[in-house]
This record gives sequence, C-alpha cells and structure tokens, in this order.
Amino acid sequence: MRRPRPLELIAAAVLLFLVLAALFPSLLAPGDPLAIHPAESFLAPSWAHPFGTDESGRGIYTRIVHGAGPSLVIGLSATAIGIGLALVLGLAAGLGPRWLDFGTTRFVEVLFAFPGLLLALLFIVIYGPGVVTSTIAVGLSTAPGYARIIRSQVLLVRRAPYLEAARVLGRGPAVRVFRTLLPNLAGSLFVLVTLGIGQSIVWASSLSYLGLGAVPPAAEWGAMLSAGRTYVASFWWMSFFPGLFIVLSAVSTTLIGRSLQNRVRSA
Amino acid sequence: MNRLALPLLSAAAVALLLAGCSTAAPTNSEPVSGGTLVYASGDGEPTCLDPHVGGNYPQALVATQYLESLVSKNKDGEIIPWLATSWKEADDGLSWVFTLRDDVTFTDGTPLTWEAVAANIAHLQDPATASSTGYLALQKVTGVEKVDEHSAKVLLSAPDSALLDSLSQPWLAIESPTALKRSQEVNCESPVGTGPFEVTAWDRQQSITLERNKDYDSPPADAGHKGPAYLKKIVWRFLPDSASRYAALRAGTVDVIDNVQPDTIVAAEKDDTIDHLDAPRPGASNRIELNSGKAPFDDERVREAFIRSADVDDAVKSLFFGTAKRSYSALSSVEKLGYSDKSLFDYDQKAAATLLDEAGWTEKDAEGYRVKDGTRLELDFPVSTNQSIPAEQSLFEQIQATAKQAGFKVDLHPLDLSSWYGALAKNDYNLVSAPYTKVGPDVLRILYHSDGTIPAPSGYFANLAQLKDPKLDALLVQASETSDQDERAALYKQAQQIVLEGYYILPLYDQQNHFLYRADVKGIRALPTVSTPTFYDAWLDR
Amino acid sequence: MAGSIAAQPPVTTRTGGRARRWLPWLLLRTGGVLFVLWAVATITFFAIRLIPGDPAEAVLGGPGSQASEEALAQARREYGLDRPLILQYLGYLGRLLTGDLGRSYSLRAPVAEVIGENLGGTLLLALLSLAAAAVIALGLAAWSARGGKGASGVSSVLEIVGAAVPHFWLAISLILLFSTWLGWLPPVSVPGPAGLVLPVLTLAIPLAGFLGQVMRESILDAMASPFVLAARARGEGEGGVFWRHAARHAALPAIGLAGWAFGALISGAVVVESIFARPGLGRSLLAAVQLRDVPLVIGIVLVVALGYMLVTTLTDLADRLADPRLRRAGR
Repeated sequence: MRRPRPLELIAAAVLLFLVLAALFPSLLAPGDPLAIHPAESFLAPSWAHPFGTDESGRGIYTRIVHGAGPSLVIGLSATAIGIGLALVLGLAAGLGPRWLDFGTTRFVEVLFAFPGLLLALLFIVIYGPGVVTSTIAVGLSTAPGYARIIRSQVLLVRRAPYLEAARVLGRGPAVRVFRTLLPNLAGSLFVLVTLGIGQSIVWASSLSYLGLGAVPPAAEWGAMLSAGRTYVASFWWMSFFPGLFIVLSAVSTTLIGRSLQNRVRSA
Repeated sequence: MNRLALPLLSAAAVALLLAGCSTAAPTNSEPVSGGTLVYASGDGEPTCLDPHVGGNYPQALVATQYLESLVSKNKDGEIIPWLATSWKEADDGLSWVFTLRDDVTFTDGTPLTWEAVAANIAHLQDPATASSTGYLALQKVTGVEKVDEHSAKVLLSAPDSALLDSLSQPWLAIESPTALKRSQEVNCESPVGTGPFEVTAWDRQQSITLERNKDYDSPPADAGHKGPAYLKKIVWRFLPDSASRYAALRAGTVDVIDNVQPDTIVAAEKDDTIDHLDAPRPGASNRIELNSGKAPFDDERVREAFIRSADVDDAVKSLFFGTAKRSYSALSSVEKLGYSDKSLFDYDQKAAATLLDEAGWTEKDAEGYRVKDGTRLELDFPVSTNQSIPAEQSLFEQIQATAKQAGFKVDLHPLDLSSWYGALAKNDYNLVSAPYTKVGPDVLRILYHSDGTIPAPSGYFANLAQLKDPKLDALLVQASETSDQDERAALYKQAQQIVLEGYYILPLYDQQNHFLYRADVKGIRALPTVSTPTFYDAWLDR
Repeated sequence: MAGSIAAQPPVTTRTGGRARRWLPWLLLRTGGVLFVLWAVATITFFAIRLIPGDPAEAVLGGPGSQASEEALAQARREYGLDRPLILQYLGYLGRLLTGDLGRSYSLRAPVAEVIGENLGGTLLLALLSLAAAAVIALGLAAWSARGGKGASGVSSVLEIVGAAVPHFWLAISLILLFSTWLGWLPPVSVPGPAGLVLPVLTLAIPLAGFLGQVMRESILDAMASPFVLAARARGEGEGGVFWRHAARHAALPAIGLAGWAFGALISGAVVVESIFARPGLGRSLLAAVQLRDVPLVIGIVLVVALGYMLVTTLTDLADRLADPRLRRAGR
C-alpha cells in the first residue's frame, strides 16, 4: 500500500467531518438550525457565529452542519439512482446477447444526446420542481455515463478466466454474475460512487439555486444557496459558505475517488 | 529621467485635478433634452405589450410610457383631467359624459375622438381580448354613445362610483382605434397610443425600445412640463436576478431598476450616486387571507387565535430593515378611505392559547401541535415564488415559527405560479397571500363580496378569504353606487371594520414598490394612479 | 457529468480501414444519428403526454394557466390532441421534418423563431469558452511538464477544484471579485467584449479542469516516451519538446471529449446566461422550464440534441483522420 499523500489525508479529514456532521450534527453544532432570532438577522461572520447568520437570525455554520445530512443523502440518492440504472443497462449490454448489447448501447447513446442538465430540466418540466424530482432528474442524467463505463468493465471482466472457470464448473448464470462478476466490479463501482456523490451534490444544488430543487426553510445546502442568492450583494456569507461546502464535498470525494481509482488500477 | 520627473508629475497632477474638477462640475438645474435611459425590470417580460390583454403590473410599468388614460389622479387622491378635460355623471347615475381634448392624435395619425373611447371599451369587453383587469372594472358598462365628435357618453347598468378610479388605470388606457383593428398578435407587439414615447422595437428576451413622441402634448394636469418628453429614448430590459440587477445599477450599466430588495435599499441610501423612489401600490395591502370557507378557519376563534399567535412586527422589522411599514388595514396606505385598527393585531400568545382552548382544541400531540377529535391543527399555506419576494417568504417562515408556539402546524408550500393558481382553484389552502392592485376602495368589493367566491372560467376567484356576509355585501354594493362622497366614506369604513374584526385577514404591509435610480436621472415621479414611474419629466444630468 | 471519469472507447471492434471502407462507416454513422434523433423526438413526444393533467393545458402553461376555452380548443387542434395516438405521433414527426417545432405560449412566437434568435448568443459563448478552456488547460499542462513534481501537484489540485466548482458559485464569486469589489468588469451582459469576459471565464474554468485532467495523463506519458527522448537528445529545448510533440498527443483525447464538452457548455450556459442576463438558448430554456412552457423546452432540447450529435460525429471523424491506429483497427 502506498503511503497516502498529504492531500488525500486532508480530503479524508474533510469527508470525515462531513459524515460526522451528517450522522451527529448536534455534536459539531449544538444550536437549533430552525430556531428563529429576528434580532440577530444578517450578522457578519464573528466569533459567536463563525459563518454569520441568515435572514431569520439562524447561524449559517449550524445550518450547514445540520444540512450536511440532507445534502449528502440527496447526493447519495441521485448517485444510487444513476448507478442502479446504469448497472441494469451495463450488465444487460455486457452479459446479454449481441442484440441486447446493441439495443442498450443505442438507448444509452440516446440518453447521451441530452447533455448534462437538459435531461434533468426535461424531467422537471414534466413532473414539476422539488427535492424529489430534482434528485431523480440528476440520477437519470448521470446514468448514461456510468452505464457506458460499467458496460466496458463488464466486457473486460467477461473475458477473464475466473468467469470462464465458473461456467466450466457448472455454476449457473446468476451465480456467475453475483459471486464472481459483481465482486470484481465492486472496486470500480465504489470508485464511481465516490466520484459520483460530489458531482451529484453539485448538480442537485445547481438545480436548487435555479429554484427548481429544494427550497427554504430546509437546512439543505442547495436551499440555503437559493435563499442567499438575493442577498449576495450585501450579505455575501449566506451564499458563499454553503457553496464552499458544496465545493469541498465535491473536491474531497473526487480526490478520494481518484486515489482509490489509482489503487484499484495498481492492485 | 529624474530631472524631468518633477515637472512631469506636477503637470500630471494638475491635469488630474482639472479632470476631477470637470466631472464634479455643478449640476444643471435646467432640464437637458436628449439621451437614452436604460430601465431594468425584475419582473418577467410581458407576453403582450397591450395592457388590455390580461392586465398585470409589468404591463402597467411599461405601458405608462406610451399609453394614456382618460383621467389621472393627483397626490391628494383627486381625479384630474388627462385625455378627458371634463366629465359629468347623469342624475340617475346611469351614464357619464366625458369631454375629450380636441388637439390629440395617436402616433399613427388617428385623431382622438369619441370613437376611440367606444372602440377601447369594446376591445376591453370583447372576450377574445382576454382582458381580466379591464374587463372586471367595466362590468357595469353597457355601451358608448356619441354626444359630439369629442364627447362620449358611457352607459351603465347601475351607478358606479368606482368608474373614474377604474378609468385612471393603465389597463384601461386609450389606444388608437385604427391600431386596435389589427390582429392581436400585431397589436401586442406595438400598441399605438398618445403617450410621450412610442414602441419602436421589441427584441424578445432582450429589450423593448421606446422613442420620444415628437408631437406629444397631452400630459396629465399634475405633470412637470408641457410638450415632448426630454429623453430621446428608453431601453426597457429584463434582468430577473436581483443581485445582478443591483450590481448593474451600481456599475452604471442601467439607470433605473425595480423590484428592489430591502437590503439594497438600505445600501443605496448610503450611496450618493443612487436615489430611491418609494411608491406603494394602491389597492389591497399585502396581507394573509384566512380561508373561512373550510375547517379549521370556519371558526372565528381559531382565526383570531392564529392572528394573535403571529409575531409580524419583529419579522417585518428584521427582514425589511425599516423599508416597509407594518399595516393594520385591508387597504394600501395610499387609499384615502382606508381604515386601520392596530388593536386587533397585537401579538399575544396567551390570548391565542385561551381562544384555542375555547374552540375545543385542548389536546396537544407529542410535537406540541394542538389536536381535536383526532385531527391535528394543520394549515396549508401555498406560497407563490413569483409574487412573494424572498424577504416575504422568510416572513412567512417566521410566522410559521411563532404560530407553532400556539400549537398551529403551518405547512409552507413554495410553488410556481401555475401550480399556485391550481392549488387555489382546488380550494387546497388555509392561508394564502395574493396581492391585488386597483385604484380605489372598490377593490374591497372584488375581494370580499360573496360574488367573489364564484370562480371565473379559468377556476380563479378573488375572494380567497371566502367571506360570505350578506351585510358586508349590501354595504359594498351600496358604496359602489353612491356618488355622495361622505356616504361612500362611511360605508367603506363599516365594510372594512367587518373584514378586520372578523379576523379574516392578517395585514402585513403596503404592496412594496421600490425603485432605485442613478442620481443623475432627474425628474422621475410615480403616477399617483397605480404608482408606476413615468419618465415624461425625466432628464439626464450627464 | 460522466466526464469526471475519462470516456473509454467501446470495446467491440469491427474490421475496416481502407478509403473504400469510409462509405459504409459514414452510412452507419448517419443511420445511427438519425436513429438517435428519432428516439429523442419520440421521447419528447411522450414527454408532453406524461405531464399530469390535460395536455392542452400543459402546452399552454399548466393547470393554473387560466387559458380560455378558445385557446384550449386551438391547442387541441394544433397538436391534434383529440386524434388517435398513432396519428398524433405521425403528425408530430411530420411537423418536425418540416421544421415546425410548435409554438411557445410564453413568448407568443414559433419555437423555431425563438431558437433561431437565441442560437447565435449561445454558440458565441460556447466557442469562446472552449477556446479559453483549451488555453487554460494547455497552459497548466505546460507548466506542470516544465515545473516538475511541485507544479504538477499544484496544477492537478487546481484542475480538480476547478472541475468541482458549480457554475453559479463561480459566477457569484467572480462577480463579487471583479465587479463589486474591484469594479473592473460589468456584472451583467453589455454590448461589446467587456460583457463577455466573466461569462466566458465562468464556463471555461470548470471545463479547463476536466480537460486538464484528461490531458494530464497523455502528456505525462508523451513526455516520457521514446520520441521525446530522441528530441531531447537532438538538443531541442523543453518548450519545443512540449509544444511540438507532447501537446499533439494530448490533443487527441481532448478532441474526443469535444462532444461531451459541447454538452457541458450548454448545461453551464443555462446558469451562466441567466446570471449574466445574456440572451441565448440557456436562458430561454430556464425561463421556459420555470413557466412550464413545454413546447419551447422540447424545441430547445431537440435542437441541442441535434447539435450534440453533429459535434460528436464531427469529432469522431476528426479522431479517425488524426489517429491512423483507429483507421486501421476500425470501430
């Protein structure tokens, strides 16, 4: 095992903080993220409130910590939807007969024709804005990319000897998939998930910023950005810090994901 | 290099000083003709520039520059002449004769005659025009007759004391009858009026271009000068992001902005280069209506309890930085006949608790919300993100928090405009905040007469409080028919007392209508009709 | 979004290679493009019908659109909503072939016209941002090739951070820095180049992050390869080595990503055009989604899909032309 580089350690520390914040927010921020204190509204960052307060006097630091859970859950859900769908497509394409491969690859190509946000926006114009629709929309948009990668991984693994060996030994197809294929895919899947969470958080919060995702008073980062956007000229901290944490999540998950990728490759 | 440095530096310093002096030259006190004003609106771009079609505030804002109405209003609330020089109501109240100016032509050359009045009223009443505001205002009008070339007789089915107020609004402005004969699509793109500017180009999603009307000379009686406008051109842009809009104003990229957020008003006050125009809209105040048509607000005690449990004053102070004054009236503060009663709206959690106990909501569940017969005291509050600015949405959040202390569970649902209308049409609300801009106290009839609960074909109805009180109905009808000003004032006062004392509404503040503009733009004023800024007297001190 | 992991070429192979073999490849590709376009059109056709409620209302703005009975009847006639599904579908495809993308209710204009007016603005922004991103990415790559491990590490982090930053946050930060605090640039679009700087930067930086990461590996490989050693042995300076040999090898994967980059730029344009109030497809699309103007959303999505297909086909073509190995191995 290579010794982790300092940057990876920092990224891991950030992730640890975020996971702690998601699971035990009161440990890191004892205040109430929803309590209203009109007299303390719009305060600039200070010792009492390290990230300042918002329009209802709620501490931004407290809300960011308590919002870590919902924000990470949204990122995870969107990634789960994306990878879940991608698994189905990728496995079908990689393991199935040629015509299935052809069909699903074409289908994935079609989905690719809706670049980035467009599929999400199309989904939202049909089903309306909101946290649930925007999460599903982001998941759908990321699925084609993962599907393509999973498919090529599956095709690589398909040629591998242990799969052949399993077939020779008489194991049924389901067993082959679950006992041999998936464990070998697990490494790449884990990397994809790690890389994907950061991206999903960024896309979901972008939709919230545009007013199409989560809305206040939820202490979710995207909603906080959406709320802080009107005040960005006078009270920049309301949007800056949630945005900063979104960037930190994305960057740290990407760094960890990349180092995992390198390890998986060299393993 | 060193020998030359000192003289060079001093020369540079002198040059800079002179340059500085010239930009700080004393300002002109005489209006200067020419120049282009850039207006950036935070509203969505109207789909039609003819305010007869539909009839909303963004249309009124831009139409104020190129269309004119029969009458206007001055600062004291009196109706003053504009395109009509005089008017007389018949003794039986069933007709009005308007005498028009005889020297006005529309920008397409058509002269202003009685036919123009007839054509415009017909256009507004035509279902194909799909006018909502104008149509509602002219409900009692049955026709227009010629008295002479420049006098029109408007026939009514019943006396209408609100007719002059209605006719002062930009949504009933007078357009060229020749232009009205064109297809609606063409007329939407370039309506033809008599105003100080005319629409010369519309680059959709980009800007509307208005240019000076060279032959203009029909300002309302309270205008600042006569003859054509000073400005040569106005460019009307749409910048929906409020932070960008304000940044553009500060940078000088635009000259006037609307939909100004409270924090930027305060920031602008400290900035010498930016001035502030505060022009509250007429009509109803910004208020929350309680749906008395279904449980739990069909019980007056529960309504009062909710109102007592809402701490609005603190919220308004902290969220609006003193730019909005708390209102205790159903009507805007610019309405002369508005009535307000502060004592009804004191923040009193104890009183709320007592009232809820009296009403039978005595149990509480684990989270502290009141329960009665197994039902939780839950209130649905759809919020239109189009119509409620962020500060107002935060205000609702704070009301939600204080109402929780009394045991109310308020569910805020931020919705886009279309879904919001849908929720209202389906009676899926207990609380709602819907603005209504109209000149005159007759707005009370639209909002609180029981006829207002009957939905229009689109499903929308204006009486969102679902107030059905025969006594109130009678007062409002009587007030709309009497022309005795004292009687009218007394009737409207009684009507407002019924609305306020029944705890059907929670008044918040005036409909906020703030504009910020570069300090070198002089002569801007808001028309006292619907408080839209007019740039007729405006000039650029540059 | 998928570009955070470098795209890999498909593993299936086919024979091919000679000039005569271009024709089948071209036919196959064209067929593929047409198929995808047809599938996209079908998806969008069903999109309108998936919306809860009356499709005629959906076309006019949703349940709260307050559309009059005449307008609803007109919409039904125009979209043939009272005819059998198969006829509606064929009619829809037929209209698409003639370029009739329907009518935007919110702008009261034919969708095709709205798109035509806005296409130029977005294309300008996209091309400038692509160029700027290429410049930034190449610059970072050159720096890391020259500067050794330190520069390589720093530029790697810069690329990762750049790629992870959401457009809206970057836009706000840039406006705060360059407009509000420094006053150098206008905060919203103005005619002329000054109004383009911040929007282009906002789009270019994340793209440069991705491109940089993709190019990084190829460049490092190229810099360590035999022909570069040979060039150094011949006495060429580091600069010459980089630009003449390594950069070309970095360009290959970057060209392959051009299709993806086009998509990412259009997505970014939705946010950037809105914040900077620049006219373009992105801003129109966002406004259309907010107003539930379904015909306009579908029209823009179709046009973007068409553009995307064109760009990917062109880049595949360029790939094949540029890399002889691909020509021989075929796809």
